[in-house]
Amino acid sequence: MKFPTLIQFFTDPILRAPAVGSMFMCLASSLIGVITFVQRRSLIGEALSHATYPGVISGILISALWCDPKLSLPCFPILIGAFLFSWLGLIAIEMCERRLHLNPDASLCLILSLFLGLGVTLASRIQAIHPFWYQQGQAFLFGQAATMGDVHIGLYATLSLAIVSLIVCRFRQIELIYFDLGFTQSLGLSTSLCHFFNHFLLILALVIGMRSVGIVLMSGMLIAPAACARQFTDRLGSMFIISATVGILSGFFGVHLSVCIPLFLCKRPLHLPTGPMIILVAVLLTFLSLLFAPKRGWLARMLRIRAARLKQQMDHLLKVLWKRDTAQASYLRSELGLSRLSLYFLLLFAKKKGWIRTGEAVTLTTHGRCKGAYIVRLHRLWELYLTSQLELEERRVHRSAEEMEHILTPEIEERLTQLLNNPTRDPHHQPIPRKGDT
Amino acid sequence: MNPYWGHHFFGFFAILISRIWQGLHGQLTWEDLATDEIQILVLLLIAASSVLVGVFLVLRKMTMLANSLSHTVLLGIVITFLLVGQTQGAPDLKLLILASLITSLLTAFATTWLQRSLRLQEDASVGLVFTTLFALGIIGVTLFLRNAHLGIETIMGNVDALHLKDLLLTFYLFLFNACITLVFYQRYALMTFDLTLGRNFGMPTLWLNHLLMIQTAATAIGAFRALGAFLFLAFLVLPPLTARFFTYRLKSLIFVSYLIGAASSILAVALSRHTLSVYHTPFSTSGLTTLTLALFFFIGILYRYVLKSRLLCVLTVLFKRRHLSLRVRYRSVLSKKEQEL
Repeated sequence: MKFPTLIQFFTDPILRAPAVGSMFMCLASSLIGVITFVQRRSLIGEALSHATYPGVISGILISALWCDPKLSLPCFPILIGAFLFSWLGLIAIEMCERRLHLNPDASLCLILSLFLGLGVTLASRIQAIHPFWYQQGQAFLFGQAATMGDVHIGLYATLSLAIVSLIVCRFRQIELIYFDLGFTQSLGLSTSLCHFFNHFLLILALVIGMRSVGIVLMSGMLIAPAACARQFTDRLGSMFIISATVGILSGFFGVHLSVCIPLFLCKRPLHLPTGPMIILVAVLLTFLSLLFAPKRGWLARMLRIRAARLKQQMDHLLKVLWKRDTAQASYLRSELGLSRLSLYFLLLFAKKKGWIRTGEAVTLTTHGRCKGAYIVRLHRLWELYLTSQLELEERRVHRSAEEMEHILTPEIEERLTQLLNNPTRDPHHQPIPRKGDT
Repeated sequence: MNPYWGHHFFGFFAILISRIWQGLHGQLTWEDLATDEIQILVLLLIAASSVLVGVFLVLRKMTMLANSLSHTVLLGIVITFLLVGQTQGAPDLKLLILASLITSLLTAFATTWLQRSLRLQEDASVGLVFTTLFALGIIGVTLFLRNAHLGIETIMGNVDALHLKDLLLTFYLFLFNACITLVFYQRYALMTFDLTLGRNFGMPTLWLNHLLMIQTAATAIGAFRALGAFLFLAFLVLPPLTARFFTYRLKSLIFVSYLIGAASSILAVALSRHTLSVYHTPFSTSGLTTLTLALFFFIGILYRYVLKSRLLCVLTVLFKRRHLSLRVRYRSVLSKKEQEL
């Protein structure tokens, strides 16, 4: 069997339904994921998605009453059953928290395992009477998009577009209720109605997604795209858009990989569930964004920390050199507390900036002298400010000035000069470099 | 031939008692154990193991952690299989502990790494880690072990396929858990009720946390074949939560939880036998165990919120009336004496 191309996933009659269908399903869940992520209640999706399992099974049991069990599984009873049971799970969780005063953690776990147990018991009943449908029902656990047809695309597309339009219509309310609950209440909006509405959307999204992602892994699809989107933006609206994009991408590539990997590894079509692949794609995207997102990412943060540390070391180097004019590398190493290698790089960097000359010993250029004088000026100005204005003891101001000299901006320097009447001596009777020298 | 074949609920207990009687008189060997009895014994041992861990987990509000461990054990098992090679046959205690070590360390480190280094919020990082590891586990099972059934078994459990070897394994697991919990009982208890005090005493709280996680993972893997990783959660969480309705002391909490777990496992096996012989429908024993646990939970609620106050009322009325009447008589005697004086 040949590898299908990417375009074939939209044109081929067999591949089209799973690919497009799971894109719609993941769109719904990734949108709702943003809401639960902002609420910091991502794990409620875990409990509610597991609670759909007895619903799926009882949907199959009920439809077995009038359908021919040799035909493929009817959709509606399963969806409705899953929705009802998930809602029941939500009510039960709230009962546990409010009435029985269990902590939220325990009540989630309790409802999850209870409903799953109920589901397993009912499933064993189906296994006995309709083994064929039992197999199809088990596909809901880890997701099996391959058996979908064009009818399913229509159904799931309608449902997820309904979710999209509901979110667009009620965007202001959603924004209000999660960012300022008190203000919402003061406006006279019913918060319980808003919560009810959001729970409705959450459960609907879970029910939509379980065909492709699977009941067990559904919560990952709520978390991953939202976490990914959070890395790039601070605005709720754009978070929805990015999250939806990530969801659609992972839905498509998840199905793509679940078709291609078995072909690649085993040279034959294997029964690989789609859910895990979709989750892995989504998690990969999230992981990359956690590492490399422009502002909040790990790499950006590490670079910021590095840059700050470099500036600090550079300032120290220039200050030491300003006081002594020339210095041996060994002296600098002991003074700055650096290793041989990092001093080498520091000197290289300073030379590139044109602040120092290296040879037998390290000396400052005129440009470097100005820079060093400026740092010493900041240091001594701050010391003077602390003693004269804040009336601190002279021997205690040095440490604070050591830190502040890297942070003070030219504007603050200006204000300090004005405030202290353009001083010439610091509290330790050392001369403060004049402004013209820097 | 299974001696329980075709018996209903009460007949099951009659035969069970007679079989225990025979066993006590040495008329039965280990090989004579019927599948129902093996199921009961395995479930009793698993109940004991999970109660020893679960009580602390529930009291420390770490149940969602147990949930994530129950997902990630699948990956632990797959990795152990790949490391050690396909060992057909007896599930080994060493392998079990190796797998649980891998699982718990992987889960713990991934979660804390996401939180500390990548600055993801707590609930999201827990959720992300266990879904990812579970997804990897499922893919590993399907691709490398070529055993798609294991994935389903993770959820459903398969009590009906238990052997004597499983019984031995769960027994060792129980010994492992019992030893650790006995040795560290005081420390666990202190950590549960006052973590700061424990830190001030210089207890290695981080390591004790990891130890508890390893215990949880080991119990999850031990329960994996019988109950499935998810229904094991019910065993872990429900008995302590139910016992909380009846008692407030740690030792009695453990005791009551174990009673509940044990009672529901025996009941579940009997019920599944009953449904099979009377209605001719085999219900999953692991599912029934969860349902009987839920039944006890509801009884607990009923006791705590409805019956307890009534019972106390009745008891006070019964016992305090005498006491009261004595006091009234005493008062009247006093007042008479006062008058006389």
